[in-house]
Amino acid sequence: MSDLDRAIAQLRACRPIPEYQVRELCYKARELLIEEGNVVGVDAPVTICGDIHGQFHDLMELFRVGGDVPDTNYLFMGDFVDRGFYSLESFLLLLCLKVRYPDRITLIRGNHESRQITTVYGFYDECLRKYGSANVWRYCCEVFDYLALGALVIGAATNLEPSDAPFADPTSQASMQTEDQDIEIETLNANGEIMFRFPRNHDASQSSQATSQPSSSPIIDTPSRTGPSGTSATSSANGSRGNDGGAVLCVHGGLSPLIDTIDKIRLLDRKQEVPHEGAMCDLLWSDPDEIDGWGLSPRGAGFLFGADIVKCFNYKNDLSLIARAHQLVMEGFKEMFDSTIVTVWSAPNYCYRCGNVAAILELGEDGSNAGYMRRSNGDVGRRQSSVLTERGRDGPGRRYRVFDAAPQDSRGMPAKKPVADYFL
Amino acid sequence: MLVMSDLAKTFAKAKLSGLPPETPLYEDDCEREDDSSSASSLSSAGTVRPTSSQRSAPVLNWSDYFAQELYLERQSDKGHAKFHVYLTPPSTPKAPLLVLHHGAGSSGLSFSLFALEIRKLLPNAGVLAVEARDHGSVVWGPGGEVDNDLSIHTLSQDMVDMLHLTRARMSWTEMPTLVLIGHSLGGAVVTDAAKKGMLEDKLIGYAVLDVVEGSAMDALKSMQAYLASRPSGFPTLDAAIDWHIRSRTLRNPRSARASVPSLLVQTPSGSWTWKTDLSSTEAYWKNWFEGMSSKFLSAKGAKLLLLAGTDRLDKELMIGQMQGKFQLLVFPAAGHFLQEDLPDKIAEVVAEFVKRNDRSILVLPPKVGDLLKQGKKV
Repeated sequence: MSDLDRAIAQLRACRPIPEYQVRELCYKARELLIEEGNVVGVDAPVTICGDIHGQFHDLMELFRVGGDVPDTNYLFMGDFVDRGFYSLESFLLLLCLKVRYPDRITLIRGNHESRQITTVYGFYDECLRKYGSANVWRYCCEVFDYLALGALVIGAATNLEPSDAPFADPTSQASMQTEDQDIEIETLNANGEIMFRFPRNHDASQSSQATSQPSSSPIIDTPSRTGPSGTSATSSANGSRGNDGGAVLCVHGGLSPLIDTIDKIRLLDRKQEVPHEGAMCDLLWSDPDEIDGWGLSPRGAGFLFGADIVKCFNYKNDLSLIARAHQLVMEGFKEMFDSTIVTVWSAPNYCYRCGNVAAILELGEDGSNAGYMRRSNGDVGRRQSSVLTERGRDGPGRRYRVFDAAPQDSRGMPAKKPVADYFL
Repeated sequence: MLVMSDLAKTFAKAKLSGLPPETPLYEDDCEREDDSSSASSLSSAGTVRPTSSQRSAPVLNWSDYFAQELYLERQSDKGHAKFHVYLTPPSTPKAPLLVLHHGAGSSGLSFSLFALEIRKLLPNAGVLAVEARDHGSVVWGPGGEVDNDLSIHTLSQDMVDMLHLTRARMSWTEMPTLVLIGHSLGGAVVTDAAKKGMLEDKLIGYAVLDVVEGSAMDALKSMQAYLASRPSGFPTLDAAIDWHIRSRTLRNPRSARASVPSLLVQTPSGSWTWKTDLSSTEAYWKNWFEGMSSKFLSAKGAKLLLLAGTDRLDKELMIGQMQGKFQLLVFPAAGHFLQEDLPDKIAEVVAEFVKRNDRSILVLPPKVGDLLKQGKKV
């Protein structure tokens, strides 16, 4: 067993590794991350995860539900640290996995991966408490500066292989029978049972919870499922029909008025503390909102952006979907603007009190053009559509796995914060 | 052993006798000159003039921080009010006015240093520090009795009335754009006013300093014990300022000298006691904070929450914050009175907040639809 595997085993048990090992790990991680562009290319299949926030036991639950590394490929969209009690173990485990399986796991930066924010929201104090000095915090912050700002997932399949799983509620099975239809969205619970299944419906203006509308999808033979349970490795080709779900941009926050093409993200100088304003700040801080155009963000950093902005950006960059995190969603995930953008939130019962469920998003692999790397910024092969119509192309099939908080082991948790002695 | 212990006792006794006597709470033979007016006065700090013997730490005057102080009268069938505010008017009709509301037991001068600092950063902005009833303002009922109704609804109405009375007194043709800033109880007051839409579209945002419904409600139980642990009075103003610093209630001596004298009134014996009897306000505590988080999140306008020490949001605010509904900043180095402890830092944050949300200077990138209409390529 290598030192790295030993460190992984120790961290999986939620035990911190010694300071000198952290130093070594962070050094190796930086060497690896410095080679990555600001926008990392990631091939489907991949499982996309949102905020973790130091909820170590819930991260373990995530791996149980989504499949373990390296069997499942993961893309974590930042906010590994702060607020939860095990930021250190959570981040170091993810970093170890990154160093051990660099092609199997992608980490991008969230707004909490910052010196200023971690000083206030817990990670700094946690490092100080667990090591007696701020050295480990410093090593980690240096890694933060090297994390990519986004990822571009390519080769995702348009249609999901139907899960060979029972329905959570057998009575709902009849209404969700989609044997002769393409599946666009499937939602599974933590036991792998199907909660909802939505067929692809080209007529519907948006994929809503309603499944009553008839589908105009052509009937095709769905190949048998080949991926192991708990993964999205469904690698069969889907007949001769094109099954390319288009590129998916993943960022922690969202878009920036200073960024109209993905290439402009690639040009940023990212190796710095997250600035208070500018493109890099916006990518990590912005939120989509039901407005027209751009708005001020109530957060005091980044912007709000409306459906027109997302659709225009996706069109211009030939994206089918933007996946982002950053906002707590009580249901774990939320698709907006005719499914052109989705928020994925992966910290169940956030901060041990918010009562929300968590979700991860699995994108399957399109085997029909294996090995062909499509460029995602050209006009070739673009489906006829205009800038502001609904999604310009069929997006990727999306399988959400929804899960609750793991039973908490309260040992080692710091005592409840003392109440304010004076508040009037 | 016995001998040893006796020895130890003697030793301890000898040591104890060496300690200075405890400071008495009241000192009847106070060396202060008799000043019969201050005991009954409304006692803005301006009326307090300590003798030279007490000036080791000079008490600072309100006029060092604000351009003027106003007494504003309100007459209605419900009675009569004499409100007290400090004002530095906006320099131009377009400049925003920051309305500052202090916490329970505090005063408008709690914002003294903040008022100076904010004017350095926003030289044209106005500052209006109001004082609640039983805190510098006085309200009488129809029968002439003092009306200390401190319910949240009354306090927010008082604040809005003070604002309108100020406008009338200053003959402003139009109400300036407004930013409300409240500390502690004042935070609950400005949140209530914002939620009720009492300032309509003049309000561009509100800031709450160091109060969260969840932790305030949790702290209610220990509040009386805390109040009982405070001295009930001080022989001199210097002693009062000293106590605030030593107890770390206030951590900025300069601010303590500006604000503490305004918290006290002189007793006939010459010593100083609290102007507001906080423990008698207990009946209102729940009323102040109940529902505050929901009001804070749902009121119209930009929202800023500044906390001292640690991030201790309740569930509702935690969800709201992680959904990006307001701006949160935490100041680990500050105490509860963060506008006094870190006036420059708080002013910096508030100035940014005001600038960011000032509609007169705000320019957002164009909407895609507008660009298309103009025939531009997007």
